[in-house]
Amino acid sequence: MRLASSAISIAVLVLGFAAIAQQVGPGANQPPAAPSSATPPNGQQPQVDESALRYFASQGDTRRVNAEIARLRALYPNWTPPSDLSQLSSGPTVPVDPLIDRLWNLYKEDRIAEVRAAIAERQTSDPNWKPPAELTTALESTEARRRLVNASDSGQWRTVLSVATDNPNLLTCVNVDVLWRVAEAFAKTEQTNRTRDVYTYLLTNCANPGERLATLQKALSLLPENQVTDLLQFERKTGDEPDNFDSIREELARRRVERASNDSTMTASAEDLAVVERLMRNSNDAGPVLVLGWYNFHHGNPARALELFKTALDRNGGNKAAEGYAMSLRALERLQEAETFAYDWRDKAPENTKVYLDIATALLSQDPPPRLESRIVARIVPVVTSQRFADGAQALGWYSYNTSQFATSRDWFRQALAWKADDEPSAYGLALSTQRLNDRAGFNAIVTQWRNRSERIADLAAGTTPTRGAQQRVTSAQTMRSVPVSNEPSRVVVEQRDMQIAPAMRTTTVETRTSGRRSCIMTRSAEGLAPDAALNLGWCLMEANRPLEAVGAFDQAIRLGSGRTREEAAYGKSLAYLRKNMTSEAAVAAAQTPQNGQRRVELGASILAQRALAAYRDGRYVETLLALSERSRIVPEQNDLMLIRGWSYYKLGRYNDAEKVFRAVQRTGYSDEASVGLNAVLEATTSVRQ
Amino acid sequence: MQRVVSTIWLVAGLLVAAAPMSLAQNLSVQPLTVIGTLPAADWEAYRSRFVEDNGRVVDNANGNISHSEGQGYGLLLSLAADDRVTFEKIWSFTFTELLIRDDGLVSWKWDPAAKPHVTDRNNATDGDILIAYALAKAGEAWKDQRYTDAARKLAKAIGKSTLGREGSAIFLLPGAQGFAAGERADGPVINLSYWVFEAFPALASLAPEYEWNRVWREGVTLLQQATSSRVRLPADWISIQSRMQTKPAEGFPPEFGYNSLRIPLYLLRAGMTDLEWLRALKVRWSAENEGIAVVNVVTGQVRERLDDKGYAIISAALACTLDGTPVPEALKTFEPQLYYPSTLYLMTKSWLGEKHPQCV
Repeated sequence: MRLASSAISIAVLVLGFAAIAQQVGPGANQPPAAPSSATPPNGQQPQVDESALRYFASQGDTRRVNAEIARLRALYPNWTPPSDLSQLSSGPTVPVDPLIDRLWNLYKEDRIAEVRAAIAERQTSDPNWKPPAELTTALESTEARRRLVNASDSGQWRTVLSVATDNPNLLTCVNVDVLWRVAEAFAKTEQTNRTRDVYTYLLTNCANPGERLATLQKALSLLPENQVTDLLQFERKTGDEPDNFDSIREELARRRVERASNDSTMTASAEDLAVVERLMRNSNDAGPVLVLGWYNFHHGNPARALELFKTALDRNGGNKAAEGYAMSLRALERLQEAETFAYDWRDKAPENTKVYLDIATALLSQDPPPRLESRIVARIVPVVTSQRFADGAQALGWYSYNTSQFATSRDWFRQALAWKADDEPSAYGLALSTQRLNDRAGFNAIVTQWRNRSERIADLAAGTTPTRGAQQRVTSAQTMRSVPVSNEPSRVVVEQRDMQIAPAMRTTTVETRTSGRRSCIMTRSAEGLAPDAALNLGWCLMEANRPLEAVGAFDQAIRLGSGRTREEAAYGKSLAYLRKNMTSEAAVAAAQTPQNGQRRVELGASILAQRALAAYRDGRYVETLLALSERSRIVPEQNDLMLIRGWSYYKLGRYNDAEKVFRAVQRTGYSDEASVGLNAVLEATTSVRQ
Repeated sequence: MQRVVSTIWLVAGLLVAAAPMSLAQNLSVQPLTVIGTLPAADWEAYRSRFVEDNGRVVDNANGNISHSEGQGYGLLLSLAADDRVTFEKIWSFTFTELLIRDDGLVSWKWDPAAKPHVTDRNNATDGDILIAYALAKAGEAWKDQRYTDAARKLAKAIGKSTLGREGSAIFLLPGAQGFAAGERADGPVINLSYWVFEAFPALASLAPEYEWNRVWREGVTLLQQATSSRVRLPADWISIQSRMQTKPAEGFPPEFGYNSLRIPLYLLRAGMTDLEWLRALKVRWSAENEGIAVVNVVTGQVRERLDDKGYAIISAALACTLDGTPVPEALKTFEPQLYYPSTLYLMTKSWLGEKHPQCV
């Protein structure tokens, strides 16, 4: 309370003194020099510090007088030297004190500390000596200005205001910078009305058009917009140097459109929109284009928004432009294009990642289910996994379910629930997929958990809802949430392993299968089948989660088939073994026929991952690390395996290495698991020290 | 077992705590003259090397930055050399560049390579105290009211913003922000070398509304606490969360280092020589041949020996005061190299000149 009222009195003082200084300035103690010259119509001549000049004139030092006139002219272009200088120099000669001469010279060169020191030195030998009053005043002003500027640079606003109050002579048009800093100090101490008063003073009294415009620009950053608008009335339309505040008006219009651009309930005026259109045309800046883009996007015109965001991209509008472009494509339901575009930008900023995940989720959730290229699905998976995006996992679940990959869909629904335990649609999906897979234990478990929370799951258990062939469409929520994670790192990781590797590969197989899907459950043996039929049987059995039988079918296809069929079958066989955690067999199978490059890498990476995990489960940590190292030579190490690496180091007592790995994982966003690891390391190392 | 051990510690802590309390009551701060105690040649060597024409005292071992502590020492040493011209310059710089904080304290760090030059606007309480003290002494010696007025303002600001309180204790915080009980997990944290003991009578007359006598006595008490362990050296930065059992503050090396070297100097300058710890320190520094060193206060291990004359002369001053041993010839010539030891050298030498001319 006290602060507020005293601050107001400071403001009044400041402005009062400033006004007084202006009135008694040049006009009061000197005759107007050249009446027709620089004095602007409704402003006064700036108050220039002529003390040094007058001193040199009184000493008859023409050379210094001329030098000082040149210096002041450079500083203040509108300034005219006083006409009474010659009178001073011809007046009664004052005895010359060489020290005074030196002091003024030092002052002129801004060597303030040395002026002070020289005065002190003189006073040591002559205690009654006093410097000229003008010099003392000039020094104090300079010191005050320095303190004010330094305090303002360090955000010490109360110091700024108290120095200004103590030195009102600083607050004139000669020191516009000081006025600006005082205005800012008022704003930073919650007294924007005083800020406005300073700007009003400045616009009423100071003549320099550049400084006047800069004042408005400062007002834009410190004052509410209505107060800035009020200040526009001080624009001088006539005179030698009229103002042009158009850029301020344009900025105000741009801001109004910008506010409306993110709020579909606000409408911008046609005039304001026209201003921003003009700004866009007259510059190569992406800023106004983005404002118009978002305005159109949020006001029902995604087609126009798309064009604008395209322009913004061309103008290097960056992440925001890409976000708008992707969202416009999505709003236009051009989902495949949107996915392709957003994929390239997904890592640029968190917003871009979110947009990509939303688009990918929407793409997967279309009704009827789209037929997607396997590489599209495959590239969605790692983004969903690394972001632990439950809605994405759910969408992958439905996509798999609707393309009859029930085992995969079960895995995805489980994953979605692991990330978001209360996600009813995923629970429902899990119930459906376990039912389809005849996975009684799984089905019963989910029903027990959810029967009281979900009517449709209860109905499913009671057998009242027909499920066969049902296309269960569920709209995904579009928000990303953080995911509660189990505190037991290694278990989580091992369970995730399937999710990270397998689904992508299993979906690659979707298009290669053509027929025989449903009949495989009846078929007992692959013997006697043609290679293509055997291959289909193999995939079918894989889907029914009977990998060992699938191995038999794939073997038949390898024996009899050729070319692509053989390759495909060997691939399937490796996957089958992988699913049974039979790593060595998988490796052998993979080597049975040459695979193409991408598959070779995939299989090799999967085999090594499983080998590492198996070794880890058996407590063979050195071997775990060997397998991981081998794997990391062919593919980048993903976070879950990095955690396994960290825990292996930990188990081997290599705490420094473990810490490094956990820190690295932490940086990529897996902070919960990484923290568990880091805590374990910390505990282990502190107990060692004790 | 655990409980027995901690009980023993507690009892020991109480015993140790009881002794210094009474000791602090018996000590007093002896005033110094300061002015005219520094030989002109020594001062000139220092001034020409470390003080710029604009009054900036340059720490040449530290990226040529300046700090409030250096400005304070510069003021005090120019007064000791009776050099009013340099005093005025240093004050001009300090006033216009550093005395800019809203709370009236001095920003501690100024970097010629940075814009704005003040790169850390926080204060350092020892810098504030040195500046206020030097201004007060100068105002008196040179009869300049400007100095006295500035000293009073600063003393009041120090009293207002840097005194910490815990129960009945009142102590110096190293800075107005960041060290108090609520501001650090192990707070309050103190630095014993920020107690410039000789300054307290001056502060008391400038800002009598604060309890400066209790503050310096608490400094002695805390020193006793912090030197009661086996190694008998205080860490530079100390957590006094438990006053009965101080411990090295977190995030700082647990070392008796460049800061704490000044504690014996400040005790000597304030005439507070009747402390058993000073005798123990003298033994460590001279008799045991360890010399002045940076020492780990937990293990007693020496990390770095300090052989600059500026450090050695503190040890010589201690020997002179306690035993009357003259300062060795080798230490009598001043060849300034680095700002900090050179400053300590002159702070020690000017005091020897005033109080123990027979040793130099």
